[in-house]
Parts: sequence; structure tokens; C-alpha cells
Amino acid sequence: MASAEQTNPQLLNGRISRAGILSFLSAQGILVFFLLSMFVFSLFSEQFLSQSNIMTVVRQASIIGIIAVGVTVVIIGGNLDLSVGSMLSFATVLVVDLHDKIGPMNAILVMFAFTLLLGAVNGFLIGLMRLNSLIVTLAMLSVIQGLVLIYSGGQNVDIANQDGTWFAFFGRGYVLGIAVPVLLFGLLALLMQIVMSYTGYGRRIFAVGGNPMASVYSGIRRNWCVFSTYLISAFCVACAALVLGSRVMGSQNNVGQGYELLVLAGIILGGTSLLGGAGSIWKTVIGVLILGFIQNGLLLMGYPYYTQWIVTWVIIILAVWLDLANKRKRLLTTHS
Amino acid sequence: MISIKGFFRGRTTIQPIWVFVIAIFIFFSFMSEYFLSLSNITNILVQTSTIGLIALGMTYVMINGNIDLSVGAILGLAASLAVGLQDYGLTIAIIAALASGMLLGAINGLVVWKTGVNAFIVTLGAMLGIRGLIFLYTGEQSFYSMNFAFADFGASTIGPIPVLAIIFLLCTLVMHLVLTRTGHGRNTFAVGGNPEASIDAGIRLGRHMMINFIIVGFFAALAGVLLASQMGAATPNLGRDYELWTITAVVLGGTKLTGGYGSIVGTLGGVLAIGILRNGMNLMQVPAFYVLVVLGLILISVLIIDKKLNVPSTKEVRI
Amino acid sequence: MFYKTALATSVLLLASGIAHADSTYRIGITQNNVGVDSYQTTYERAFVAAAEANGSVDIVVLDAGGDVARQIGQMQDLVQQRMDAIIIWPTDGQAVIPAIRQANNAGIPVVVTNSRIADAGMDFIAAFSGPDNVEQGAYAAEMMCEALEGEGQIVQISGQPGYTTAIERAAGFEERLAELCPDVELMETQPGNWNRERAQRVMEDFLTKYDRIDGVYSGDDNMGVGALNAAKDAGRAGDIVFIGATNFAVGYDAIARGEYYGSIYQSPVDDAEAALQTALDVLAGEEVPKLNFFETPKITAENLEEFDRPVF
Repeated sequence: MASAEQTNPQLLNGRISRAGILSFLSAQGILVFFLLSMFVFSLFSEQFLSQSNIMTVVRQASIIGIIAVGVTVVIIGGNLDLSVGSMLSFATVLVVDLHDKIGPMNAILVMFAFTLLLGAVNGFLIGLMRLNSLIVTLAMLSVIQGLVLIYSGGQNVDIANQDGTWFAFFGRGYVLGIAVPVLLFGLLALLMQIVMSYTGYGRRIFAVGGNPMASVYSGIRRNWCVFSTYLISAFCVACAALVLGSRVMGSQNNVGQGYELLVLAGIILGGTSLLGGAGSIWKTVIGVLILGFIQNGLLLMGYPYYTQWIVTWVIIILAVWLDLANKRKRLLTTHS
Repeated sequence: MISIKGFFRGRTTIQPIWVFVIAIFIFFSFMSEYFLSLSNITNILVQTSTIGLIALGMTYVMINGNIDLSVGAILGLAASLAVGLQDYGLTIAIIAALASGMLLGAINGLVVWKTGVNAFIVTLGAMLGIRGLIFLYTGEQSFYSMNFAFADFGASTIGPIPVLAIIFLLCTLVMHLVLTRTGHGRNTFAVGGNPEASIDAGIRLGRHMMINFIIVGFFAALAGVLLASQMGAATPNLGRDYELWTITAVVLGGTKLTGGYGSIVGTLGGVLAIGILRNGMNLMQVPAFYVLVVLGLILISVLIIDKKLNVPSTKEVRI
Repeated sequence: MFYKTALATSVLLLASGIAHADSTYRIGITQNNVGVDSYQTTYERAFVAAAEANGSVDIVVLDAGGDVARQIGQMQDLVQQRMDAIIIWPTDGQAVIPAIRQANNAGIPVVVTNSRIADAGMDFIAAFSGPDNVEQGAYAAEMMCEALEGEGQIVQISGQPGYTTAIERAAGFEERLAELCPDVELMETQPGNWNRERAQRVMEDFLTKYDRIDGVYSGDDNMGVGALNAAKDAGRAGDIVFIGATNFAVGYDAIARGEYYGSIYQSPVDDAEAALQTALDVLAGEEVPKLNFFETPKITAENLEEFDRPVF
């Protein structure tokens, strides 16, 4: 997907005056959006800003959020991962099914091993064989969904004794009053934010995604960098499966269906471009939260669930436009 | 110049998928006694016409170096409009459905043009939003056409050939000619192959891309109308995941996601490959779970083969 | 009329020896979405087992993966293979009608299973076999009334929007509830898409939105258990009456533990066997009523022992 971003001449001589206010907003665009949407919803619904509602939303958003952290790393590295939805189904079915058969600890280990293996397959095909990530992960979406169904024979899987297993901790537990899914989401996001911003590894991923050829000349082992991003993505999916499986204490075979799109929508709302070499984890966190609050806010206001999709569309277009206003300003200052 | 180059480039990439199509065709002919018959082959054509029509437009957009993820949702909306508006007359309903597709394509194109943002992002948003519009319009209900003439059209034939198959093949021919013989087609390759050079050559990039988004929107809507006529009904979930299968078909047909490269003949091969595989596996009673795995593995294999085949050619170009 | 011609044609085909074995019927089935939940998977196994046990039936088993267009393609494929009869589990109550009509016009009798199609299509089918979902909804309303003693505030988590089973259960529930106990107020309905995780989210939102919820009706137990999970998490499960449908094993266990008030017992094995039997009766030329409902009784803690634990 070549972008027209660098080459579109209209960008240079667009009407800049109108962009004045917008560019101020967009400098902190995503945060402004976040606060604005919170404000609007709080006008319409009393419960919206209640502590219990905020906790519910953040907890619900944490599964998408955990996956989005991993996918953001893949995207910064210049690729895409559409297979995370199927992979989530796979990991959740596996860990729930094995829970009663080989015990929670072994089940978790096996689940992580197999999920990382799938990530390695992605990484091998995309990083080492240099195949197109969109198509490979699209194909893997189909393959993995098939594998889940073959494994389970199409049956739901359940954990028989829900109240008597420490596995419940991941989806239902609390530490210091914070729900464990939220804690996991926060810790993973913080960890990856630090890795991406302050380590040589993070800088290499940015370099590989931003300018693949230059990164090769500067001695970065590009192939293995890309490979590793898919392991990170798979690891995050495995963590999400831990939360999901424990929360539901059972799983359908298509439980993760469509998650890949919600994850991408969250990342895009956060403002990470899909071109690679740019983006940040904290933006993704906010994007995912916005998605969660839109969904919850509209529901509390009594609108049907599908209105959130329309609102998301409009916000994505607005966000893109605001981002553009900001770029115009920057272009103007650098060129004058 | 460019068109000739594109044509030859196209032809070299066509071959693998057509070899594959012929191979699976022969394979299934031996494996199932029902496969090799005129009625089954026209069956396959009708079944593939939906994805096929969208894939025609998608080929243009992808040669441009863009992508459109909203086609499945556009198809769903057009189908609902084509059935839901029949109270105002069949013609009006169909025109409204097709117009909705072109309008939404134009919106996608306009946003990509004016913002220069990656089409993946723009159309992913549209995919969610348009699906929301369908649910809003239909109130989550399926629409059923009281007018059996509509459904009968979907099932009608000219001689032994179903009308839907004829429409699909005619559109394929037209889109092939436009791509290979017209200025718009040449520009499509030029824009995808080297955007900067194409601007220097005087192509109005944004407007050109927008036209291709309108084309794919039109074809998605046309596919929606024809699918609705096949069913005599429309459901709000219609077309879900079709964008994925369409992109798969186009890529199988040799079109490069990076743009500048591809052909309608190849896309036809890609569409048929998926259609024949699905139909053949149905007739052979391959369990549905395995079909998913097989289709995915074939896609990856084609990518790998394509990579291997193209290595020498890129070297040549460099020399 | 159609039905008679259909029958005549298939008898003719058999008589003229075009069909394969002497007394073997070839029956094709296109299912909705096997693998999406255990009910459908168990149904498929039971169907295959019943056909094998019968001995004189060859079956072709297809799955539409929830996609209407694909199901229509499969109908065409089955017509193409000149089946003696086709059983369809419709992905949509409306959109499959023209495909059914085509099969009917080709002289192949069609039996609709599990989920009904719209009235406009009834002329083109030989018979319907499955549960009476309107009645199931009404049963659930009766149980809800009984459990709440005629007064309270409840919410509903419905199945997949646009799917006949979901619509019929919700309609049956709402209608009977309004007649039987007008003081039970249905505050809100949201779809859970037959998905436990989604139902759990919906319930979490309900729990924050409404300070008082006395009862939840879910379109099936899979979603009902999701709602129960959410309520347990919020520490409010004890105040809420949970009623579901299509008793799943998890629902059965929850009833046994006293956390779940009741459900509707619906066996996929009965469902599958009834569908096959109906098709065979049609092929044998018997008079078959248009609508064949199999029994789906209420199940609560009181009569739990009368039922086997569901295998799904």
C-alpha cells in the first residue's frame, strides 16, 4: 500500500488559515478528543462518569487493549496483523479446554507455547520470507479459525468448576482494588512503551518500519526485527486469551471473530499511522479507551449498539482531518 | 508504452494462477462425478459473480496502490436498498442502490484525496460506519421482496447460461478493455507504479484515485443488487468478510498490493480459483473446517511461489 | 400442488433407475453455522449418526458458515446433485426463500429444520421440523412471572438480530409477559448474538445502568450464563432471576447449583432426528403436516432430575 501522503501536491497549497484552530487542537488531538467525548457523554448520562461505570468500561476495553499493544508494535515495524482475532479464539479455546484436562498451570504454558508458535509462523513468513503481511495474516486468519474448529470439533469448551480455580484470577480478580485485566493491560502497555521509547530494540523497530532499506544499510537485522514483532503480538494475544478465558470460564470457537478490526480501529483512533516507523503505545491505549467509552456512552444514552460504528467512522475521518491540519502547519513552517 | 509494458507484465503474472485454475479444474473433474457439467460450471460462475464483480473494481483500486475494505458493507447497503425501496418501483430501487455505492465510493475517494491518508484507514472506518448505516436503515431486519420478478431475474438464463454469469463476464471484458486500451487504464498503472512521475506527466492524482473508488463502489453495489436478486431478499449482515475474499482473489490473480501491477485477466483467474475450490470441496464433501485451512494455505503457497518466480525478473530490471 | 409434483418427480426418478441404489434415498442438508456453538455441532453429529443407523440413506452434509449467500450456493449445489430431498437450516428466515423455491421447482422436496422461514415461503416447502420458538418464549415468560410473583423490572438479552429463532423467542416472551403479568416491566433489550462473552458485556452495562434488576431473560443459556457471570462479578447475582432457553450443560449445572432459575430443554439430537424422519416421511409419500414441532419442556430446579445433563 503506497501512500499518497508524501506525494500529494494538494497538501502543500491547501487553505491554511482554516487550519489555525484545528492545528492547535490536533497538537494534542487525541487527548482533546478523549476529554471532549467524555464531557459530551457525561452531559447525557448521569452514570457515565460514575466510578463503577468507568471501571466497567476500562475492564471491557482491556482485552482489545492488550492485543492492540502488540499489534501497535507490529505496525510500527511496518507491517499488519489481521490474524489476531482467530489467534485469540485459538488461544482461548485451548486454555479453557486444557484447564480441566491437565490443570491450569500446564494449560497456560501449553497455550502460550502454541500461540507463540503461530506468531513465529507469521514472523517466519513475513519477516524471513518477506511476504506481504496483509495477505499472510489474512490467510492465517482463515487457517487458524479452521484449526480451532478442527481442534474442538466445533464444541463449546467450558471450565466445570468455575469457583474453585485460581485461573479465575486473570479475568475476575482484583489487586489493590484494580481489576486484574486492567492491571495486565496497564503493565503491558507501560512495559512496551518503555521498550519502544528507551531501548535500542525499540529504536531498531522504528528504524525498520520507517525506512527499511536505510535500516539494513545501518546494520540492523531487519528480518529478525520483524520476526520478533510477531512474537510480541502473539504474546499479547495469549495474555488477552488468559483474561478472556478466565472472565467467561468457557469459550466458543469464534469468540475472537472481528477483534482484529476493533483492535485496528482503536489503534487508528489513537493516531498511529499504518505506514510504519511512527506511532506510540500510549496513543493506542487512549484510542482503545475512546472506542470503549463511545460504545458504553451510546449504550447508556439508549442508542442501539450499531450507532457506535457510525460514530467511530465519523471520528476516524475527523481525526484524520485534524491530523492533516497539523501536518499542513508543520509543512508550512518548515518550508517558509 | 506503459500500457504495453503493463500488458506484458500482466501476462507474466497471469500464468501461475491460470495454471492453478486448470489444475484444480481437472482434479475436481476426476474427483466428483457432478463437477464437470455445464450446469455446475454455470453454477460456479453465478456463485463467483458476487466476489468477481467487486474484484474487478478492487483491481483498479489496488493497481493504484490503494485498497478498499468497505466493499462488503457497501454491498450490504445496496442490497438492502434494492429490496427495501421496491415500494417506489423496482427501477428506482435499483438506481438508488447503485447510486449509494458510487456515493460512498466517492466519499472514500474524497477523503483519501483530500487528506492523503492511507486508504486502509479510511476504508476501515467506512466499513464499520456503513455497516452501522445498514442496521440503522433496516432496523436490524431482513428485507424480503414480494416481487418474484426480482428473484426470477436473478435465476433467469439466456439459453443455458444464467444472466448473472453473462453480466459478470461482460463486465469483466469491459473492465479488461478499459484497463488495457484507454487513457484511464494507463493512468491507473502510472499512478500506482510511480506517483511522482505521474504527477509530472500531468495526471490529477487525487481525482484519478477518486474515480477508481467510485468504480469499486459501483461494482460492490451492483454485486449487492444482483445478490439480492438471487435471494429475492437482503439481510443486514450480507457481505460481511467479502472484502477479505475479494482482496484474496485479486492478490491470487497477481495484482501487487504495492500498486502499479496487475490485470483483470489475472483477477478473473483468482476469482475462479476460489469459486472452483469452494464448489469442488463442497461436492467432495470436505468438512467445512478443513476448507478454511485449505483456502488459507493455498493463498500462502501462491504468495511463496509468486515470490520465487519474481526474484529473477526483479534482478533483470535492476541490471 | 408443488409438493405433489415434487413427489411425483422424485418417485419417477427413482422408478426410472436414475437414482443410485434401489431403496437408498439421497438427502442433502445445508446447515446454518456449525462450530459457532455446540448445539449446532451436536445436531450435525446426531444427524449423521441417525442417517447411519437408518442404513438406507446417503447424506451430503454442508455448512453455510452463517453466510446466506453461501447457503444459497449450497442449495444450488444440492439441486445440481439431484438430491431426493434437501433439508435446510436457514441462515435467514427470508433470504433463503427463492433458493427453496428453485429447489421446489426442480422437483426436490425441501424440509426446513430448527428455525422457521417467513410465511411467504411456506408454499414451497414440504414441511418444517423443529422447536416452537414462540411457545418457548411464552414458557420463559411464564417462568419469569412465577419467579418474580408478578412484579419486577427485567432486561432481555436476545439472540442474533434478524435471525428467526431470536425474533420468535423475543416476540413470544414479550407477548405472554404483557398478558400474564403487566406489572413486570421489560426495561431494555440488547442483542447478545448467541455469544457468551458479548452477553456478559451487555449485562455489565445493564448492571451499571440500572440499580435494580429483578430478572434477565436470555435467548439461550449460553448467553444466560454470560449474564450470570457478570452479575456474580458485580455481587448482584443473588437478587436476580435468570431464565434462558436451549438448555446448555453450563445452564443445567447452574440450575443445579441454584444460581439459575430455569430454561427450556431442547435437545439437538431430537431436533436432528426429527428433521431426518420428516424428510423420510415426505419421501415415503406419507401425509406430513406442514409444521412439526418436537417437545421442548420447561426445566427448573424442581424437575431437573427428569432430564439428562445436555452433552453440549
